[in-house]
Amino acid sequence: MPEPRQTLRLGVCGPVGTGKSSLIATLCRELGRSHALAVVTNDIYTDEDARFLRSAGVLDPERIVGVETGACPHTAIRDDVSANLAVVEDLEERFEPLDLVLVESGGDNLTATFSPALVDAQVFVLDVAGGGDVARKGGPGIERADLLVVNKTDLAPHVGVDLARMVADATAARGGRPVVALSRHDPDSVDRLAGWVLDRLEALRAGVLEPQDPGPMPAHTHHHTHTHDHDPAPQTSSAGAARA
Amino acid sequence: METPTGPVPSRRAAPAVPVAGASSHALALLLADARLPVGGHTQSGGLEPALQRGLSPDGLPGYCRTRLATVARTEAATAVVTAYAARHGGDLDLVHAHWAARTPSDAQRSTAYELGRALLRLGRRVWPEDPLLAGWSLPTARPLVLGAVAAAAGLAAADLARVTGYDDVQTVLAAGLKLAPADPLQAVVWTRQLLPAVDALVDAVHGLTDPADIPSGSAPQIEEWAQAHARTTRRLFRA
Ligand SMILES: Nc1nc2c(ncn2[C@@H]2O[C@H](COP(=O)(O)OP(=O)(O)OP(=O)(O)O)[C@@H](O)[C@H]2O)c(=O)[nH]1
Ligand SMILES: [Mg+2]
Repeated sequence: MPEPRQTLRLGVCGPVGTGKSSLIATLCRELGRSHALAVVTNDIYTDEDARFLRSAGVLDPERIVGVETGACPHTAIRDDVSANLAVVEDLEERFEPLDLVLVESGGDNLTATFSPALVDAQVFVLDVAGGGDVARKGGPGIERADLLVVNKTDLAPHVGVDLARMVADATAARGGRPVVALSRHDPDSVDRLAGWVLDRLEALRAGVLEPQDPGPMPAHTHHHTHTHDHDPAPQTSSAGAARA
Repeated sequence: METPTGPVPSRRAAPAVPVAGASSHALALLLADARLPVGGHTQSGGLEPALQRGLSPDGLPGYCRTRLATVARTEAATAVVTAYAARHGGDLDLVHAHWAARTPSDAQRSTAYELGRALLRLGRRVWPEDPLLAGWSLPTARPLVLGAVAAAAGLAAADLARVTGYDDVQTVLAAGLKLAPADPLQAVVWTRQLLPAVDALVDAVHGLTDPADIPSGSAPQIEEWAQAHARTTRRLFRA
């Protein structure tokens, strides 16, 4: 078996403006001294996010690269990841040894998630300002991303959102997968986020991180009670994705 | 099991299974498919800077025709000559040098290297038994990789040239739908009208075997736009 890769490729996706770039900046601040990082952004116009992150001064600007998606941000992280993969590989080679490459998706909608061909793990970011109902409505990222972040918790009182309720809805929708309620103004929440990332890095290096595909489609869930046969072994699957 | 079962991915390639030979026509369809995951959606064939610098959206068919007579013709000819060299043990470095000499814009060469890299990744996965693709050591210029893929796949020279020309047209017209107001059906009307020009390109290049015969009709305005685009910051398309 080949050596497990040493660099964790972590996707960050979620709707427009929920705080993906800010979360990446927070991670760079938090982990930048102890770990070697790089960032890839996917934007509608090339480099808004890349420029934001460069100007945040949290990382050597050369380690932040923007990818053009031809106005197809879904395609670039899912059906055809070649442009992103090339940039990730170049960063890994140029700044070897890297611990973490963060890939930000073009802020889009609830359905866009990363292909496991591009990232080892992915974070889906919602924010309280998008409304308390979003978590309950679900979707592939909300339900099955490796981590769900409910962001900007400091704003909850100002936008009339019951935070505890929103986090409970999210947790219920996720069948036990982790949820972090985050605010960049709340150091404990930032610690929890960083801790989760480092845990995934450790899992990758231990060879026990199998990339999961949240899928573009509703999952096959078992809310019904009748039994039916399943194939004994998990099938390797091309995600069978419809194009964005 | 209670866990929701989303698609279970695997990063590992499926074991290579011997494949019966497919027709060149079927292989051409495979390679001309816009859904091929080789980064085509990031490309406008130079249309984005062209529109920004004054090309009228009505000029799209003319723009495609110009490309078919110039840069796309060089690309198709290079692919054809590469496929011939790959089959006959020719000198691929020499082919690369001839292509590079006829592609004076370094922005266009970089684009070709990026696209060829993605195509090489695909070629190695789909034709894992091919030694040229597996041991590729040349720069990954797209027309060279495409020619090598054609040789590995068993794509005839004329089909290879047709795929190259057709892909160029589709790249421009599909990007046009993102960049300028247009009816998607009009893009198909234009494509149909351009097919004879694609066939003319095929006639011109499919018999080539000598790198010295690769046409070098350059398109200085397209090259200048490509150079300018590589230095802008707000762009939808890589090139
Ligand atoms: N109050 C508060 N605001 C935040 C927090 N995190 C991010 N923001 C703000 O939310 C806005 C959007 O943040 P970004 O990080 O740009 O969001 P994004 O998801 O990257 O946006 P797109 O890339 O455009 O989709 C900015 O004004 C941030 O300052 C937070 O924890 N609390
Ligand atoms: Mg952003």
